[in-house]
Amino acid sequence: MQDAVLAMLAKEPSHGYNLRVRLRQSLGPLGESMNPGQIYVTLARLEKAGLVVCERADGLPERPDRKVYALTPAGQQRVAAWLAEVGWPKPDLAEFHLKLVAAAAARLADPVELVAAQRRELLRRLREAQRAALAEPAGSGAGLLLEGVVLRLQADLRWLEACERAWSKGDDRAEGG
Amino acid sequence: MNVSSAVVRVRGLVKDHGQGQSRVRAVDAVDLEVPQGQMLAVMGPSGCGKSTLLHLLGGLERPTDGEAWLAGRRIDTLSERALARLRRRSVGFVFQAFHLVEELSAAENVELPVLLAGRSRREAGCRASLLLERVGLADRARHLPSQLSGGQRQRIAIARALANDPLVVLADEPTGNLDTAATLDVLRIFEALRSAGQTLVIVTHDERVAATADRLISMRDGMFVDDTRLAGSHTRGLGGLIGLEG
Amino acid sequence: MGSIVLVVRLALADMRRHKVQAAMLMLAVTVATATMALGLSLRDVSDALYEQTRAATAGPDVVALSGDTGPAVTSALASLTNEPGVMAHHGPYRIVYADLTTRDSLSSPVVVHGFAETPGAVNRPLVTSGRWVRSGGTVLERGFATALGVGVGDHVTIAGRSYPVVGIAVTAATSVYPGAAQIGPGGGPSDYSGLAWMTRSDARTLASSHDLPVTLAVDLKLRDPAATEPFIDAHSDPTVRITFHSWQFRAERDMAILRVSQPILLVGSWLLGFLAITGVASLASGRAVEQTRRAGLLKAVGATPGLIATVLLTEYLALALAGDALGLALARLTAPAIASPTASRIGDAAGPTGLAIAAATVLAVAVAVLSTLGPTLRALRTATVTALTATAHQPRHRPRLTALSALLPTPLLLGLRLTARRPGRAVLQACSTATTVIAIVALLTLYAQPERGYGLDGSSALPNLRGEHDRQLMLAVTILLIALAVVNTLTFTWTTAMEARANMAIARTLGATPGQISAGLSTAQLLPSLPGAVIGVPLGIGLLSLFAARNAVDPPSSWLLGAVLATLLATAALTALPARLAARRPVAQTLSAETA
Repeated sequence: MQDAVLAMLAKEPSHGYNLRVRLRQSLGPLGESMNPGQIYVTLARLEKAGLVVCERADGLPERPDRKVYALTPAGQQRVAAWLAEVGWPKPDLAEFHLKLVAAAAARLADPVELVAAQRRELLRRLREAQRAALAEPAGSGAGLLLEGVVLRLQADLRWLEACERAWSKGDDRAEGG
Repeated sequence: MNVSSAVVRVRGLVKDHGQGQSRVRAVDAVDLEVPQGQMLAVMGPSGCGKSTLLHLLGGLERPTDGEAWLAGRRIDTLSERALARLRRRSVGFVFQAFHLVEELSAAENVELPVLLAGRSRREAGCRASLLLERVGLADRARHLPSQLSGGQRQRIAIARALANDPLVVLADEPTGNLDTAATLDVLRIFEALRSAGQTLVIVTHDERVAATADRLISMRDGMFVDDTRLAGSHTRGLGGLIGLEG
Repeated sequence: MGSIVLVVRLALADMRRHKVQAAMLMLAVTVATATMALGLSLRDVSDALYEQTRAATAGPDVVALSGDTGPAVTSALASLTNEPGVMAHHGPYRIVYADLTTRDSLSSPVVVHGFAETPGAVNRPLVTSGRWVRSGGTVLERGFATALGVGVGDHVTIAGRSYPVVGIAVTAATSVYPGAAQIGPGGGPSDYSGLAWMTRSDARTLASSHDLPVTLAVDLKLRDPAATEPFIDAHSDPTVRITFHSWQFRAERDMAILRVSQPILLVGSWLLGFLAITGVASLASGRAVEQTRRAGLLKAVGATPGLIATVLLTEYLALALAGDALGLALARLTAPAIASPTASRIGDAAGPTGLAIAAATVLAVAVAVLSTLGPTLRALRTATVTALTATAHQPRHRPRLTALSALLPTPLLLGLRLTARRPGRAVLQACSTATTVIAIVALLTLYAQPERGYGLDGSSALPNLRGEHDRQLMLAVTILLIALAVVNTLTFTWTTAMEARANMAIARTLGATPGQISAGLSTAQLLPSLPGAVIGVPLGIGLLSLFAARNAVDPPSSWLLGAVLATLLATAALTALPARLAARRPVAQTLSAETA
């Protein structure tokens, strides 16, 4: 989140309100649940870290928010570094895998049932993302993001299918893995 | 769920393929009720019997055992001829391979079931242009299937399935031959049909197609292993999907 | 209502998509039905032409001919004219037997009838050009004049003396050329001769100056033209040799010249119909998969089996009936020329008779139904779900044949395997070849027959019109048969190539060259052609023996051998083109098309 806000300031100094609007535009329906204060908390942290400076702007007396934020040289360096970075969020599959193994070992729960429950949950999420994607006009940026979410969920669901097959064959096999 | 509201209802449905040694049970004692206006997805690996189930529901095949009703009418005992009449009035099929008549234009393909139902050429023409409009292909009415993309062909096939206002639309892997963009077009049409109260049964192995349904049944080896209602359940909101609250 | 629109629409759309097949079916049916209608109409057309000539020339109901001359005969003939039942008469008149030579030195026997300068009430020859006889001039019968190539104004020499031809005429009192001499001199057998008219005095002068043989004749008109038989029976007098020819006998004699034409046309039409069925059946079986799939998808949208059968049959029936109509029209146009090879008769032929129309239509429907029955039944019987995913039905595996072929050179191996894949088609190809050979054998046999020309002493300077006519008809039928057989061979090869393209593509990925593939495809057609051609020879000879005259001669065996070899070579050449085209298709394209 911090890096994204910094990168948005790279174009030009901006009000916090403006930043929020731009963020929500890019995220589309996914941005709707964003906390309105979140952007200011983030900006405050960045200011404290010396990555942005805040100036009081003139000429907008009717707005309660008159602060304009700009990047510092350190902030600019951080943006450049962020763009060059190739790190990728790791899906945390190990935890769920271990949950299944533990449940099976201790006979706490039926792993197949756990998988089914998880699958239902992911399907509901997929349904939501899919419907949001269908509602987006073709070629919208938010649609592209939603497509990514849908594909991610699809991949997870396929893995769950593999889990289900493996665990329903026999309790030990998947564990022995 | 009371019986009268179920468009599709089957009890103890069994279907065997082949004979003797090579006999395979494709559908194994399945019970199912699909109420009016529901969009049901059936998922499962290939060979699990989901396509056969769909054929049984639409009277394309006859069950080995069990009973099937369509809108309260028993269909497993009907003659081949009566089944054909039933299909033309009450069932709309959408197939993975489109199955359009290659030498007829898009509009003529849509008119096909209307004419089969014995209605006049003019009525058929009106109905076809209305439906082509609905699937966004009014400007392709005179094209032959070979001149259209896969997605367009499938939309024509959907228009054809809707030609006689069927009680239920049965779709067999409707997006199996389509790319993502064309899949979304088809799903949008299904979504519009669902909002209009059309009963739909979709057999698919594509999770995103299944996820648009109200209800999802998973099949394995001819049996139902899961039956989930997807509609109306509470989720954490879309933001949760990308971890914005974090 | 809607389903009629649907049936028509689907049939039309399918025809548009398969234009070549539609055209082929229609042409094949046209040719077969035209031939059959002609064969069946010959007698009626011949009768109609005689009838019209008889009406236009006040043809006699009975002609009484006497081989002798003399007062007794003259009075016997004259007394006939006074018999009750005789309404009118002409004669007795002289018939002089002479020779006629044209300026081109064509010579022919001729009978000269001595007629009055003003025609009487009976037997008034119709002058078709020039004018009627006058002193010193002669009028020639039109069939005779046409054969001689003589017109009004030319001179002909009769018994050494030159006469100007002042007119050309037709009559119903004698048989068509060359049957003008109805009895020979003295009542004996007659030669092929033409007919000329002169004035009575010229005829008498001609006879007396050269002491030529003469007979007498009288033409009679009866009160009841149908009652010729009782009249003849009542007046047969054993003491005086008088020969009676009724008009019915005359009409019957006109058919003599067509004796062989009719079987040529009728048997020809059966063979043509057979080839049409094999050709169209092969095309239809090539499309069976497509048909089955289409039937499946029509069933899926709610078409009943009956409607699907209607759609499938409508197309073929419509085409066959169109071909039938065309064939009947063609028969109508050509019938006068074919039913009347001489110019001795006038008039138009009426349309084909009801019987001919019915028979031709039955043939057309049979071609349509027989050639599509298999695929149609298969399309109907296949379960809807199976039909939707239909692929070419898997040929049976024949391990022994396949094992045997492994020992052979590549093209022969491929050919043998292709033949083994589709034994039904191999049989069709063999039948098609056999049919062609049958026709060629018949044609050769007709050409091998020795025959008497119409000239003097059987000189063939004046050709035998009947033989000529038969040969021309047989040639036409043979050409049509060969044309259909050629189309059949091309479609057989192409269908085989299309069905086997996946296997051939695999053979090519394994290293077979395009040349070997196309040789293999050609071999696949040649293998069944060989027995077909060999069987065709005895079949042709056997078939001919049913119709041929007792003294018929077989063609030399070198001709027959040549015919078989030529047929096989032509088949090889014909298969080369489609086989080459098929073999040239890029492998990758074929393989990817199969998986799509």
